[in-house]
Amino acid sequence: MNTRSSTLAYGLLGALPIVGLLALWQAIHLSGIAPPALLPSPAAVFLRFFQQLGDASFLQNVGVTLYRLFVGFFVAAVVGIAAGVVATGSKLFASFLLPLVRVLAPVPKIALYPAFTLTLGYDDASKIALVIADALFPILLATYQGTSAVEPKLAWSARAAGVSPLRTLFTVVLPAALPSVMTGCRIGLVISCIVVFLAEMITSTNGLGHLLMRAARNFQTVDMFVPLIAISILGLLLNSAFNALRRHLLRGFPEEK
Amino acid sequence: MVLRRFLPALPPLLAFAGILAIWELLSLYFGLDGLPPPSVALRQVPVILTDPQSLFDIVDSLRRMAIGIVLALVFAIPVGLWMGRSRFAAAFFNPLLSVIYPVPKAALMPIIMLWLGVGDASKILVIFLGVTLPLIYHSYQGSRAVEEKLLWSAAAMGMQPPARLARIVLPAALPEILVGCRTALVLGLITMVTSEMIARQTGIGNLVFQSLEMGIYDTVYAMIVIIGALGFILDVLFERLRGWLVGWAEPAQSIIVGST
Repeated sequence: MNTRSSTLAYGLLGALPIVGLLALWQAIHLSGIAPPALLPSPAAVFLRFFQQLGDASFLQNVGVTLYRLFVGFFVAAVVGIAAGVVATGSKLFASFLLPLVRVLAPVPKIALYPAFTLTLGYDDASKIALVIADALFPILLATYQGTSAVEPKLAWSARAAGVSPLRTLFTVVLPAALPSVMTGCRIGLVISCIVVFLAEMITSTNGLGHLLMRAARNFQTVDMFVPLIAISILGLLLNSAFNALRRHLLRGFPEEK
Repeated sequence: MVLRRFLPALPPLLAFAGILAIWELLSLYFGLDGLPPPSVALRQVPVILTDPQSLFDIVDSLRRMAIGIVLALVFAIPVGLWMGRSRFAAAFFNPLLSVIYPVPKAALMPIIMLWLGVGDASKILVIFLGVTLPLIYHSYQGSRAVEEKLLWSAAAMGMQPPARLARIVLPAALPEILVGCRTALVLGLITMVTSEMIARQTGIGNLVFQSLEMGIYDTVYAMIVIIGALGFILDVLFERLRGWLVGWAEPAQSIIVGST
């Protein structure tokens, strides 16, 4: 009884700053310090957001963004997980891969975007390439760290039972490292979400990021907030969907609460 | 002995040479105007770095990045440490932070420019917003993991809570905080470049797109190399600093979290 009411109290406490910020936004709007052209009311922004959810051309732009996001993320996940696992299994491969990762991981991938637009064009391909470049490293590093920390006896048992080295890696070591791999993928997914939006803001003719820039050029402040809210909600939804998937897949892992 | 000192630098240098070789081959194979070979592009690097205007733009960008990161450090570390030691603070801030987490910070640039204009203030604010979250997160994790006995001993000796935060929690959480700082450094650079590419006013990001629109492709690639090298050099320098500051702690491995 006592713990339940304190959980509720902490939940309400957490809602306080979020509600407070929205209230402050509304108060600034009402006080008239900022003209609506600079700061529209939160009510107007959310109303417009829900209106747009029924608008075909808005949804089409959301679809374009989602397509780039998922294609990029899946390529990054497949390549990152495979490279991370193989690097754990093969010293030779690791000695090639790790210095490359050391050099490329701290490089701001967004700087490669102009090169991608020059070589792959201004359409989907350059955005997908940027998403891959950005999402790859967190997934690869998390996979590599997770798989190298797996208890070696597990792999030895499988090998002693006659399983080939490559199969051992993918059927024994990789599942044992699943918590770490999933964390890497979740971070990679949120990064993909953010990066695809930024790429669309820099050069694009469609997608959510383009909608923001178009609204900015026309000084339609309400329409500037809508794509931003849409991409943030998308990120939140993907993040929590991934967490749910993670809980489902990791039933029975000792380190998971 | 000299050899042993330089041996650790060898694999990254080989990796860099490998990247250049692949680039050269790709450019020879495709022969695109948009992909000049590194032998041509790299010749522009000294040209850019000796041109007073570009050099000024680059240094000016780095200055704004430094201010943004320092402001974020001053704000985020106390908040994170406090969250780690107080259930109240953690419950108060955590939901807000997880709502802010997936917002693309650099994308706020056009809106912030409406409010604060095109000057330094908006650019610094965007960088500040871009790096605050990982700093709070790592300070929070570090402060949460502090050995309770240290705090009890300090309390038993009459140390007040604010002093305990500064003299016990801060040093004990320092290794984890520095992991956050490393992420923040790379993220700061990313946010800076991205927001300048979006706003197209001044700075490194603007330089890249200026040359792109003028069709000077070797300069575009030279700028990319300069930005990439900045990221790598900042990371290496910070690792040195970290080793010197917290050489006593286990070398923490961190996933460098890409973009904002």
